[in-house]
Amino acid sequence: MSTGLVKILDGNTFVVSDASGDIDASRTDPTGLFSYDTRYLSKWVLTIDGQRLNSLSTDDLNYFEARFFLVRGTGTVYVDAKLSVIRQRAVGDGFHEELTLLNHDDQAVDLTVRFDAASDFADLFEVKDALEKKGTYSTSVERGELELGYERDTFARATRISSSVPAQVDGEGMTFKLRIEPHGEWTTDLDVVTAFVPASGMSRSRTRYARDGGSGRSNMESNLERWLETAPRIECSWEPLKPTYRRSLVDLAALRFSPPIAGGQSLPAAGLPWFMTMFGRDSILTSLQALPFKPELAATTIHALGTWQGTRVDDFRDEDPGRILHEARYGELPAFEERPHSPYFGSADATPLYVVLLDEYERWTGDTKLVREFEHEARAALNWIDQYADLMGNGYIWYQRRNEETGLENQCWKDSWDSISYRDGRIPSFPRATCEIQGYAYDAKVRGARLARLVWKDAALADRLEREAAELKRRFNRDFWVESDEYFALALDTEGKQVDALSSNIGHLLWSGIVDTSKAKAVARHLMGPRLFSGWGVRTLAAGEGRYNPIGYHVGTVWPFDCSFIAWGLRRYGFKEEAARIAAGILDAAEFFDGRLPEAFGGYERSVTRYPVEYPTACSPQAWSTGAPLLLLRTMLGLEPIGDNLVVDPTLPAGLGYLELLDIPGRWGRIDAFGRERVEAEPPTGLRRQLGSTPAPRSSRQRARRRT
Amino acid sequence: MSERTATSDTATAFFEQLAERGHEPLLGKARGTVCVELIDGTSTETWLVTIDRGDLTVFQGTANADCTLRASRELFGQVVTGEVNAVAAVLRGAIGIEGDSELLVLFQRLFPGRSGAAATESDTGARGASR
Repeated sequence: MSTGLVKILDGNTFVVSDASGDIDASRTDPTGLFSYDTRYLSKWVLTIDGQRLNSLSTDDLNYFEARFFLVRGTGTVYVDAKLSVIRQRAVGDGFHEELTLLNHDDQAVDLTVRFDAASDFADLFEVKDALEKKGTYSTSVERGELELGYERDTFARATRISSSVPAQVDGEGMTFKLRIEPHGEWTTDLDVVTAFVPASGMSRSRTRYARDGGSGRSNMESNLERWLETAPRIECSWEPLKPTYRRSLVDLAALRFSPPIAGGQSLPAAGLPWFMTMFGRDSILTSLQALPFKPELAATTIHALGTWQGTRVDDFRDEDPGRILHEARYGELPAFEERPHSPYFGSADATPLYVVLLDEYERWTGDTKLVREFEHEARAALNWIDQYADLMGNGYIWYQRRNEETGLENQCWKDSWDSISYRDGRIPSFPRATCEIQGYAYDAKVRGARLARLVWKDAALADRLEREAAELKRRFNRDFWVESDEYFALALDTEGKQVDALSSNIGHLLWSGIVDTSKAKAVARHLMGPRLFSGWGVRTLAAGEGRYNPIGYHVGTVWPFDCSFIAWGLRRYGFKEEAARIAAGILDAAEFFDGRLPEAFGGYERSVTRYPVEYPTACSPQAWSTGAPLLLLRTMLGLEPIGDNLVVDPTLPAGLGYLELLDIPGRWGRIDAFGRERVEAEPPTGLRRQLGSTPAPRSSRQRARRRT
Repeated sequence: MSERTATSDTATAFFEQLAERGHEPLLGKARGTVCVELIDGTSTETWLVTIDRGDLTVFQGTANADCTLRASRELFGQVVTGEVNAVAAVLRGAIGIEGDSELLVLFQRLFPGRSGAAATESDTGARGASR
């Protein structure tokens, strides 16, 4: 469906058009100009003498700008090569478009150039679910500008379209009558500006009409350059890793979202373009992945999610005191409380993960000031685990939505309807306690205890949290352990029975540290065994389980983000070579996608398909897939902040040769890390060799050099 | 002040209770003055809440505010009883806002949820699970 679509964006304003730059959307087509979850243009079609144009080529100059080279003609055989049409478009506060016509003929030419414009002001949810609008539309022409408007009660949105060259403007667009001399050119700028219209009687000062297309664009360019310059640099002998790393950094820049309360700072949104908003889980996990590279993302995530933390019991939003939000939206449906996203809190893992991020952030940066500033929120999050999340009163985090109409059923990262199952494929009822969330809760308590002792100077709280963590770990290792096959069950059901499918979730348990050392080896064996490990990565559900399907969303596909946390978990328990094998598989797969890992790919055996089969999703790049190579770099180099130092303990897969990460920011200033390959990740014969073909010297070296 | 409806009394009662509270841990990191303008037909009543790391001072009159929240008396009465969600009301333009948006987000912590339970002791564990 998305084939041939061109997407550009800045924050949560984005334009999706066809290859010639046109937008001509039906109600459910995901094309148009969108801002803050509302479509501001559903039609934007360029014609010359009544005819649409054909695309010769499209340049994605940057994530925020594109250039379209067009010609006239029928699109089949005949092309009028005497007229070139160039549209250059940049997203800003709406978008800015520069239209240039070049006459290559010896004769002058008279042309009628027209833009047809319209907007349905659809909410993103309406585009997804094909809902009808309840408000009224308006158009007005004033001072050579066209304004499209929509109103429902006090809700009002507007799109204003203007041009630098005067046009004949009507309610459906604008027309330019022009003449271009032989070998001459003609150009005009067009600005399409989006606006929240304040309620009547209120100040209009917040209306954001501005013609800033040009200057906005160059700001974004220098901003992106700065972003890349201040990231650690990579040196390595396996060439494909360099473009993958650069791709991750550029995509992470595109995925930045600046919520109004963050003072211009940004956090990672979840995915592009439909999920450019604050998400609890996605923003936290991506910030964790990016910590060694862009720690400022974590700071903003802590700040924004903490400020929006739940403070009351609200069943419609599944909100509780201390709960961290799941998703915030700004469109018409949340505005009229027809959807709960203002914001919605239905996530069972974001709250413990919030404390995990706060602690990991302090370990890297030494920024105790932020930890002190968000002490209240961190305590409230820890309190939520025991006071609000333990729905069955037996010491675990359970989830069950209270908003049964529009709330989320599955409040863990595997949020599809069939993701949580028994081995025989049966689906448990609610509430559910999935295993990885108990791991996060354990980790939150352990890390919360550290912060309580170190920063908040509350030894009693630290003692209590440590006691609770130890108790949770003891219970968990008893209740979730599937004795017969030596792994942890995916979940517990309401009767306390094990939901006993074998899944990738057990890898997250290693990351959290909740696994008894005596059980870790068996867990690692399962993760690297043929039922879970595909050769590329770890399947979300093991082959052979009742619901296993190699192209089922959460029941057999491989998720790069999942694998990056699993690799981190394997490292934590000392399985360095296993972690390196997973890193090798995922980084190798990245090369097939030009460095941009998809959200998920098929769980097919590597030796069967020989290339990773992409799972078709609407969003690319996805933030936590973008973060996966970053976390894998950290994992392979064995980067761990200990006190004020960064410990480097590399274990690289064969074929990677050497790997150097320069200028890693942290409490130490800037440090370089260096590693040389050791692990042989040799594939079965007849396969493309993983990670290049350099023979592997069986040696390992390490180095950390402090920068002055 | 002329006669008030039940909801408008609710709005006034909200500020009076806020003044009595003196300190609010949910606003522990907030500093600044929030101005709430209640519109009732042609008249406007202004309440100011100065927050200094959770210490609250409530007064009426005029002063420089860091942010302003503007709503009809009736709507504001519904917000402080949890019938109407403040953030949604801002999104649909029923409540106007200006100024320091972070202070506004912190301030809305004081409003109860739809199921009616206001939280003022979120970090003490005083409340049990609500289900």
